[in-house]
Amino acid sequence: MRLYAIFVYMFLYIPIGVIALFSFNAGRHASQLQGLSTKWYGIALSNPFVMDALETSLVVAFISATCASLFGTMAAVALQGIKGPVRTAFDALIYISVMIPGIVIGIATLIGLVTIFDQLNPLIVAIWPNGIEPPQLHMGFASLIAAHTLFLMALVIIIVRARLSGMDRSLTEASSDLYSTPFGTFRQVTLPLIFPAILAGFLLSFTFSFDDFIVAFFVAGSETTLPIYVFSSIRRGVTPEINAIGTMVMAVSLIMLVTAQILLRRGERRNK
Amino acid sequence: MTNNNDYISKKKFMEELYRYKRGSVTRRHFLNVTGLGMATAVMGAAVPGLRPQPAFAGDIGDRVVLATWPNYHDPANFEAFTAATGAHVQVNVFGSNEEMLAKLQAGGSGWDVFVPTNYTITTYVGEDLIEPLDTAMLPNYDAASYNPRFAEAGSVDGKLYAVPKDWGTTGYVVNTAHTGGRKLTSWKDFWDIARNEFSGRGMVHDYQLTTIGNALKYFGYSFNSIDEKELADAEKLLLDVKPHLFAISSDYQPALRNGDAWMSMAWTGDGKQLNSDMPEMEYILGVEGGEIWSDYYAIPKGAPHRDAAYALINFLLDPEVNSREVLAHGYPTADARTNALLPESLLNDPILYPAEDLLSALEFGAAATLTDPNRAELMARFKSA
Amino acid sequence: MTQRTRNWLLLAPAGTWFLVMLIVPLTVVLIYSFGERATAGGYSPAFTFEQYANLPARWAAFKNTMVLAPVGTLAALLIAYPVAYFLAVRVSPKWKTILLVLVIVPFWTSILIRSYAWIFLLGGRGIPALLEWIGIEGVRLINTPFSVLIGIIYGYLPLMVFPIYVNLERLDKRLLEASSDLGAKPWRTFIQITLPMSIPGIATGCMLVFILLMGEFLIPALLGGGKVFFVGNALVDLFLQSRNWPYGSAVAVTLVVVMLITVTIYMRLIKRLGAHREDVSLM
Repeated sequence: MRLYAIFVYMFLYIPIGVIALFSFNAGRHASQLQGLSTKWYGIALSNPFVMDALETSLVVAFISATCASLFGTMAAVALQGIKGPVRTAFDALIYISVMIPGIVIGIATLIGLVTIFDQLNPLIVAIWPNGIEPPQLHMGFASLIAAHTLFLMALVIIIVRARLSGMDRSLTEASSDLYSTPFGTFRQVTLPLIFPAILAGFLLSFTFSFDDFIVAFFVAGSETTLPIYVFSSIRRGVTPEINAIGTMVMAVSLIMLVTAQILLRRGERRNK
Repeated sequence: MTNNNDYISKKKFMEELYRYKRGSVTRRHFLNVTGLGMATAVMGAAVPGLRPQPAFAGDIGDRVVLATWPNYHDPANFEAFTAATGAHVQVNVFGSNEEMLAKLQAGGSGWDVFVPTNYTITTYVGEDLIEPLDTAMLPNYDAASYNPRFAEAGSVDGKLYAVPKDWGTTGYVVNTAHTGGRKLTSWKDFWDIARNEFSGRGMVHDYQLTTIGNALKYFGYSFNSIDEKELADAEKLLLDVKPHLFAISSDYQPALRNGDAWMSMAWTGDGKQLNSDMPEMEYILGVEGGEIWSDYYAIPKGAPHRDAAYALINFLLDPEVNSREVLAHGYPTADARTNALLPESLLNDPILYPAEDLLSALEFGAAATLTDPNRAELMARFKSA
Repeated sequence: MTQRTRNWLLLAPAGTWFLVMLIVPLTVVLIYSFGERATAGGYSPAFTFEQYANLPARWAAFKNTMVLAPVGTLAALLIAYPVAYFLAVRVSPKWKTILLVLVIVPFWTSILIRSYAWIFLLGGRGIPALLEWIGIEGVRLINTPFSVLIGIIYGYLPLMVFPIYVNLERLDKRLLEASSDLGAKPWRTFIQITLPMSIPGIATGCMLVFILLMGEFLIPALLGGGKVFFVGNALVDLFLQSRNWPYGSAVAVTLVVVMLITVTIYMRLIKRLGAHREDVSLM
């Protein structure tokens, strides 16, 4: 059993090792080792396009994962207490948003939003006070976050709900019997119980958003995320620069993870 | 300026840029050390494009969005542009013309400047997606200095919509270590060897225009044919070769480099890069002909920062700037003024500048080829077979 | 504030999102699927069933997808189940979190870069070279159905591991102890207790992976050498290459309908296996 697990973890991490190895490639190709060097790290860090793309990806992933976790949890909690057509409608919508392939949602969102914007923009100009430049709605940061949030929100609802449905109802009932306010019950009973699910949802959401190419390609307007940058580079040859970024992202997340783990352990020990 | 020997080395430049970005040196230090400050000042005086132009004498805004191809620019040039004008260049990179067209057609791209290939320009004009250019705002554009062959697609119905960037060809790369001394010269050779000696080793582009076009060349038909009978012949050939192919992919360098594939359709720049690293990789233009292409700078309709767009194009057309671009990306340019600044060895490179008899057989892709629904369906049948 | 108002307020953001970002775009796709392709590509308004009549031209893509999706799901399940079991039942709580998160960490590197690593590993200089070294020659891995399968298992493993893990974690360990106290062999305990009780997790994992596989296009394109064509690839080509948006929309609508039907049948089957609707968390 343990051996099998080790084998699977190797399966997961050997490609990562290959990425890291090639990031130290002295040559300019991601698949042909020509001596070792750290130059691609310098090049990646000083390439403003790559750094901008990385920043955009991180910000988009963070905001959309946060929105998705918040709104998704709210909806999941509310849906617990609802039956009838509203529940059915939401079930169908959740189900469909997870089911639609990214390419369809990408192009559909793009066309849908552009149509809406084309209607709204003249309206904004008309009602805007004279003398001030009226704002223009356009595709970009906000539309990208909105599109990611949709899919991720559905995912969070699914995960949180699975946890809620497994929850012991008597706990919340006991709480309200003890004259706790609904919010108090939520904060003191429900939230701690579903928190692992929210966290899992947040992590998954962040990952999905950070790795998404196809939706971002359509709805990002003139913004470039890291996957868009990488995807566009592959036809003209991926350089170890991309590997260097991948390795750095991985290293930073592993360090953050280990630190979090150590801090949590310390906290636990102190509590004991 | 670029030929100046005490000009800062690329490595040192990157180091300084990195330090500047980390904030450990000031902008002034950065500009001083790298010479960009001086360069900007000198350029401002010497290069007409950087002298304040009446059209954008004032503020051109703080940003300009460029949609282009990967590895197609010298990042230092953008830094210089920002230093000179205050506008930051935001670059969007694309993998194919169709992707660019799809995004512009859907609307909401937010681009100011884009880089279309010759055969797409009439489509952009027809769809009303592209802005006619005002040459008064492009003092660095000198129509006479361009080889007309690579400039004429920029004008539609006598109106200028796009100015030339670079050009190139589509041929194939073959690993001569495996040909047993046999010399391949034609597309007929390509397709025949792909289904015999090179079975499991050949690659074609995941791109309708070139893959079908070069299959048509096997029969001596036009690269741009949309004739039903000729397309049917090409389809038969493609379906016959498919089981023998290593892959259908436009990302062929890795497979050629690690020895999995021995032959692939290829564009100039890839041919050059492969050949420089591995001399046994030979770049071949079919004697029957094939594709020649040229890229242009253009401004899409509704560009949010129009003045900055003109300023950027004008800046990139400057021969000094353009020569640095060519040295960075390795594609030939059609501008005689820029060629005059380039090293002799580059201009004599047979991959970049093929012999005239090979060149004259090549055809430019046509707009109808790109948008023909039958060719698109043929490609889908080929890929799903 | 009544509970009713509160629920409405809680649902408001999600509802707005679904309306603007899902219902409106999907309506657009549906409208487009009855349109015509403009001469230069894109959409031109019309009302025709022509796009749907042309669907047989993508039959091969649908057929490939309907083979790949179940096979890939099954393969991912077979690999993932023991891992989830190991994490949930065998690992000490101290290591649980870190090992679980380690399953997801590789996914913080773009799938594109990871596929590049696989292209190298499966290519001539990777595993085949290693095999040659130990005497097995002429093995060809890259650009085969096998390499696509490897890529799929690799790409979807965490999605399978997580739901099964969550399910097994909640499983009452006392049941397992009771079973072994009563003298049941470990495999009997597994077959009669663990496996049936983990069906909801399996069902959720399979559904997630299956659904995402139905739209997959990157892995076949990168690791299959573009020689195998799935509905996802057909859609990418239709929207991004030939720009036949109405036809692309029709293919997309058809794909969604096919998925709805498959998933409904699947849910029926799962129900027969005894899982409650509530447990299969996707619903």
